Amino acid sequence: MSGIAEPTMIGLSERGHAILKRLKEDQHFLEMADAYRFGIALALAHGVTPDEPSAPRTTIFSVVTVDPDREIASAIRSLLDVGNLPVYKWAERLAEWGVTELSYRAESGELDLASILEEASGTKEAPDS
Amino acid sequence: MPFKGQTKIAFPQEEERNVMMVFGENMRGKTSLLNALRWGFYGKALGRHLREIPLHDLHNKEAAREGDWTMEVRIEFSAGGHHYTLLRRAQKKPLVVQPSRPEDYSLEVGLQKDSVAVSGHAIESEINRYAPEQVSRFFLFDGELLQEYEELLIEGSEQGKGIKAAIEQVLGVPTLINGRSDLGTILRTAQRQQSKDLAHVAGLELQASKQASIQSKLDALESDVKRLGDKLAQTKGSRAVLDDDLEKVDSVHRAKIRLDATRERQKRIVSEQDSIRQERLLLLRDAWRDVLKPKLEARSRLLAEKKDKLSLRAQEKNRLEAQAENTKKLLDTSKCPTCEQTLESALRGRMGRVLGELEVQLSVMAVDQKEMSDITAELRTVNDLLSKSVAGRISEIESVTRKLEIELTRVENEAEALESEIRGYDTAEIARKRVLRDGLLREEGQLARDIEIVTKSIDSEKRELAIIARTFQDTPSARVSRSTAMVKVTSSLERVFSESIERLRDELRKHVEARASEAFKSLTTQKSYSGLEINKNYGLKILDERGSHVTVRSAGAEQIVALSLIDGLARTGRAAGPVVMDTPFGRLDLQHRDNILRYLPTTTSQLILLVHGGEIRRPRDLEPVASRIGASYEIREVNARHSRIERMES
Repeated sequence: MSGIAEPTMIGLSERGHAILKRLKEDQHFLEMADAYRFGIALALAHGVTPDEPSAPRTTIFSVVTVDPDREIASAIRSLLDVGNLPVYKWAERLAEWGVTELSYRAESGELDLASILEEASGTKEAPDS
Repeated sequence: MPFKGQTKIAFPQEEERNVMMVFGENMRGKTSLLNALRWGFYGKALGRHLREIPLHDLHNKEAAREGDWTMEVRIEFSAGGHHYTLLRRAQKKPLVVQPSRPEDYSLEVGLQKDSVAVSGHAIESEINRYAPEQVSRFFLFDGELLQEYEELLIEGSEQGKGIKAAIEQVLGVPTLINGRSDLGTILRTAQRQQSKDLAHVAGLELQASKQASIQSKLDALESDVKRLGDKLAQTKGSRAVLDDDLEKVDSVHRAKIRLDATRERQKRIVSEQDSIRQERLLLLRDAWRDVLKPKLEARSRLLAEKKDKLSLRAQEKNRLEAQAENTKKLLDTSKCPTCEQTLESALRGRMGRVLGELEVQLSVMAVDQKEMSDITAELRTVNDLLSKSVAGRISEIESVTRKLEIELTRVENEAEALESEIRGYDTAEIARKRVLRDGLLREEGQLARDIEIVTKSIDSEKRELAIIARTFQDTPSARVSRSTAMVKVTSSLERVFSESIERLRDELRKHVEARASEAFKSLTTQKSYSGLEINKNYGLKILDERGSHVTVRSAGAEQIVALSLIDGLARTGRAAGPVVMDTPFGRLDLQHRDNILRYLPTTTSQLILLVHGGEIRRPRDLEPVASRIGASYEIREVNARHSRIERMES
């Protein structure tokens, strides 16, 4: 473990937060934290190296809520060169991209999980977003 | 009635060309034509279950709308060497605006015999001389009758019992039964008088009093039977009305049952969808690992390769270090550890070089233990993430979800179609009527059982009376009374009538059996059948060539048996005459149909067949009877309320 100080609270841009709420309200996910985790994984799977999310930002969860066993952090460290940036800062950036992508995917009313999993495995191409 | 205006039909007159075909698809008016004849002769039109159709329902709706409220049937026929013209007319009464009951019509019947009017009271008996109404169901019959008579082939069926009574009615048995019943009444009166006469004769008071008491009881029991019989008839009538109503809406009832089941299925699918959606949402909590699976697998492979390389390097270093240690020991001791010989200086020099080379190799071969431990830890973490997959279950759920969606759409479409099918019908009322009908059916059963019990009591009381009567006959003081003589005479007469009834039944049965067997042999395609056997309940059995009963019968064979019985009954109840058959071919195969077409024209003076396209395909199916067809008509639809009968050119 590096000596970089990790944040204890994480969040998204206000726009990202609004999307997250809608993903829960539309019953695509049971909890916002579930959509947040899924967004991070989606961004990682697509090999995205996102920039700092746009302001204004809002904190939404404690890190323990989103990643109680630190598995997300481990996955990010394994799959991304985190450099000197705290891993949960990366988590926020990845989640911002992933949640936005999920909102596009859910526009038809249903989240096609089978397609997402196929795209991640490379057996299917991602739609133009 | 779909007929409007004047329709004239000329029945074939030639003996060798005595068949008339009337073609008409369902709902065009074949049964109405049959009913027009029935109404003309007997003033009755029959609907389902032989229920009379009320007069105001017979009127053509289109004609009524145009203000024409008169119905008339005129039949010209010959019988017994006389020419008859029968006219029956129903006309709306002048003060009635819209007839809604039979009483709203005034009726007129006229019959001319050789151009001389028959007086009103004699018309009915004149008609019944040649075409008795009681036998009319056998010469003016429809397919429903055929189905009803097929029940006779089922041993002991309820329907069969009812038909037995109807058959005996047409065969004249009731004449004797009524005679016996009248004699019973006379006997009872005589016995009552006898009780009074003998009440004062010494020694007979007790018997006379007992006789009077049994007579009172008998009166009460007979009144019970009559009341129960009336109640049974009333219940049957009410049930028949409900049956008819329910039959009309049977498809609606079935649609409602299907709709309820479809709605239940719809609910179950929606509930299944909810539960599966919940499971999917819970699984989504962990599905993020599956999104990363391909990347994590690649990472895992990379880490494993790195780890293997590091392990190999560490093993090689260990080997070189051991070799260098041994070489160093040799040089230090200058002795071979095996043979203990001293090393030559040349050899020592060589070994010194080897040691030097090993030390050079070892100096560049560094193994990073921290890297090794980091890789091992990361590999464990990655493999741990890979082990928690929910993708398989999610895939199953997605597949089930798609199937459920398709099924839900199908079920919703079906429900919508069923909804439109029952729209406008009061399904609660249908359900209520079904319950009422079932209740009446149970009541009928109970009433029939009660009648049986009371009838047994009556028989037992009558036996008691007979014993007392014999006692009186043997007593000299009683023998002299006039009432005793009357009792004796009427008892004997009653016995004669009872025996005659049995004898007549037996003779009629034999007669019907012979006629029906004759018809059956001509109609059946199975030539090994030798005829029919009729039991006391008019139950029918087919006999094979050895006279044994044939136990397995096809639906077609049953129809032929029923038709044979009807033919036998028609020819037993009256002289051969015209026969009108509505939709008679039902389930029959081609050969049976051909046999009927060949046989019936030979046993009837005129044969009128009302058929639809499903029974007879023209002209091919008419070949067996082509030469006997004297006239052909077709009932054509003008509109839903109006049909026209047109003569076809041969």
